[in-house]
Amino acid sequence: MNRLLTLGLVVAACGGGQTHPNLFATDWEDDNGASITGVQQKIGGAKAPTGADVAVGVAGNSDKVVGIPLAGGTAWSFAHAVDVRPTIAGSVVVGEGGGELFALDAASGKKLWTRQVGAQAMRGAGDDGKVTVVSLQSSQGSLLIAIDREGSVVRQIETKQQLGVPAVLGGYAFVPWSNQYVSVLDLSSGDEAARILVRGKVSRALAVGGGIFFGEQELFRFDDKIKGASKSQATHIALPQRELPGTPSLMAPGEEKLGPVAGALDKTRMYARPTTTDPIAFDSQRFYGTYFRLAMAFDTSTTKLAWVYSNKVDLVGGAAGPATFVLCDEEGKVVVLDAATGGVERELSLGGPIKSCTAQADGLAASTPQPPPPLSQQISAALTNRDSEMVSGQRLLLRELATLEDESVTKTLVDLASNPLTAPLLIADSRTALAARRNGAKAMLEALAKHYDFLHDVLLSPPVGPIAQALAAMKEKSAAPLLAAHLLDPADTDDDCKQAAAALVDIGDATAIPTLKQFMTLYHASADSEATAAAVVSSGQALLNYGGPDGRKLVDATIADPSTIDAVKSRLSAVEQQLDAQKSQAKPPPSKK
Amino acid sequence: MNTKTKAFFLAGAMSLATLASAQTGVTQPTPPQVKLAPTVGADLKSGDTGKIRQALDEIRLAGKAGGGAFVAPIVELLQRGVTNQLAEAALDTLGDLEAEPASAMIAQYTIHRNLRVRQAATKALVKAKGAAATKALVRALSDQDGMVRGVAANGLGQIKAKSAVPDLFLALDHRVNEASGSIGMLCAAADCEQLSTRIGKIPFDVVAAGIEQAMFRPDVGDDTKIKLLGRIRELGTQEANKFLRETNKKWPKTASARVKQALDQAVQATGGGS
Repeated sequence: MNRLLTLGLVVAACGGGQTHPNLFATDWEDDNGASITGVQQKIGGAKAPTGADVAVGVAGNSDKVVGIPLAGGTAWSFAHAVDVRPTIAGSVVVGEGGGELFALDAASGKKLWTRQVGAQAMRGAGDDGKVTVVSLQSSQGSLLIAIDREGSVVRQIETKQQLGVPAVLGGYAFVPWSNQYVSVLDLSSGDEAARILVRGKVSRALAVGGGIFFGEQELFRFDDKIKGASKSQATHIALPQRELPGTPSLMAPGEEKLGPVAGALDKTRMYARPTTTDPIAFDSQRFYGTYFRLAMAFDTSTTKLAWVYSNKVDLVGGAAGPATFVLCDEEGKVVVLDAATGGVERELSLGGPIKSCTAQADGLAASTPQPPPPLSQQISAALTNRDSEMVSGQRLLLRELATLEDESVTKTLVDLASNPLTAPLLIADSRTALAARRNGAKAMLEALAKHYDFLHDVLLSPPVGPIAQALAAMKEKSAAPLLAAHLLDPADTDDDCKQAAAALVDIGDATAIPTLKQFMTLYHASADSEATAAAVVSSGQALLNYGGPDGRKLVDATIADPSTIDAVKSRLSAVEQQLDAQKSQAKPPPSKK
Repeated sequence: MNTKTKAFFLAGAMSLATLASAQTGVTQPTPPQVKLAPTVGADLKSGDTGKIRQALDEIRLAGKAGGGAFVAPIVELLQRGVTNQLAEAALDTLGDLEAEPASAMIAQYTIHRNLRVRQAATKALVKAKGAAATKALVRALSDQDGMVRGVAANGLGQIKAKSAVPDLFLALDHRVNEASGSIGMLCAAADCEQLSTRIGKIPFDVVAAGIEQAMFRPDVGDDTKIKLLGRIRELGTQEANKFLRETNKKWPKTASARVKQALDQAVQATGGGS
């Protein structure tokens, strides 16, 4: 402490440190971890202090920073121009606007210091509880400033390199750059004490759970294996491969400044919290994805959907905490969810609408969540949102829903496929999933009882075709009269009609015979489409199966009728012949006397 | 006369008849009877699309008086099932023959998958009337196609299907505007007043079409008519005034003096001094 303070005073007196010529040199030769091992020895067992548990938003006309402690407490507000999204570094919130950097105490919002930086834009910051190191984009490349709690500059480094977001530990700044290096700067001397060559894209250093990690889309841990980083031997973890809407990323490139207003990329993000224990993993075996109003949690080992949280408005930021997942929405609501179940632990407010949000949950203790509904209901709720922006996310959820055996899933699929307000893509997906269901017959039969009815606002026919396929596979014979009724519903699509007729071949009975006859009569000469023609043939086949002599007579008459469509005629003949052949084979051979 | 010539003549004759009917509001006299070829009956049963089509055209031209005897074979034709084109022609013919015994068969075609066939069947059913017509036309009010719904709504008034009034109100509230006129043709006192409550909720000209029908019906009481006029008078708009003036102009001299007086007052009250 004393050493740092002394250095700080000296440096401040000299105008804030100087750039050392060897810093960020590109002719560096891999030292096989020798220098970083030396730094580790100097740091000893020091851990990054636990960061503040807080959500911070940009509010007003980007002229206000608001914050709320996640464990509960008073929301705070700090009026200042905001040109760059504030960042939370340990227990400090660092922001920039109007050419001025400012640091606030994350828990209270109290101003710690300000510093004029002109047109340079902040990329990010790190903090070890004593010194805050801020990376800024400058016209020449980058500027790195280390500022102590009193606001004194203890180190200032300019470089042509594009620096990423730094972390600080034990008087050393860990500065990623050039997407592959992490230079470890001794803040007391300004020297590059060590360098790590990382075999993966690295633009951010971050303190999590007392540890330091580097990376962007995958994370490398600063531990005793970091010396082997250049040989790909560092402890590292990546998010499991998983289809997610909007192809979200874990973190934005550290060399880019983030604007004060959240965009689509902030609303479609991934979150995960690496562990400091071995073997490295993601906390609670969870990784998370947001998609506008949805937040989804996945199991890291199976990548299966664990839970879904549906919000009323877009989610603009969040953080994965220990056994928790924190989200903030554009109305300023902050919600703390249980990582395991998605149950709501607590809801907080930033006091009003926000432009963007940054959160950190580093030591937040999990509390008892409200028990969430079953996953099928969570997904169903997420699918009821009619915003067309949500369709990609909803399609993914629908596929997840279809994998669940719960009978209520069938009803949800029926409802989605029957609702004219459902997005067309979701209707198509629901129909596909419905055809493959093998339970939920009750919901299917209830749906079949409905027909298009303009006056009673039933403006979309039920998904007759997929239901027919499913019920036929389930041998649900009680569906026969309902399916037959759909043969005579002109509002059903040709394909639905075809599937209904095909199902009646297998699960039809005497109740369907009059309708099958009427259908054949009406369409044997007038089928407008291949699907309707196929339905006529299936109707004939059904009549041959269980229509008795009268059914056979009608089929024969249809085949003989010159007005019968050729395709119908030939296929009906083939069906009849095949049936006759089967019957003759089934007859026992005449006994020899 | 070949098929093309017949079709042209048929279309022309029908257009003129429709025009004349619309202008005068009077049913046209029966057209001169066309002598049917002796093969017409056989042609209908021939299975030959061309011959059937020709026979249907001839029967249609012959009208109710000349072609009435062929209703049964045309129904048989539809019962067997035909191409969409022939189905349309057969339905048109049955309609022109006002073939009431065919209504059950025509009704079956009001649920046909082919839209043109469905439209033809609905139109034919309005002309044929018959026992099956009301049920089928009420069902057609819920059809996907706006034209089918419109024809059904209009037709229910024409066939005097009083039992369909609640369905017609439902249709009117679903913007099937043709329902208004039919409601006006069929409404009992309470229904007529209910129609007037739609003023301000649906376009005036739509409601007015129904109210006009009710105003000139002798079986609708003076009190009801005066109430209807009162609703329009309350509206006080230019289009209300125009409607009242036109109704006043058409009001029969022998009709109710009370209603006439109410009309005069309503015209004056909505005239805005002009």
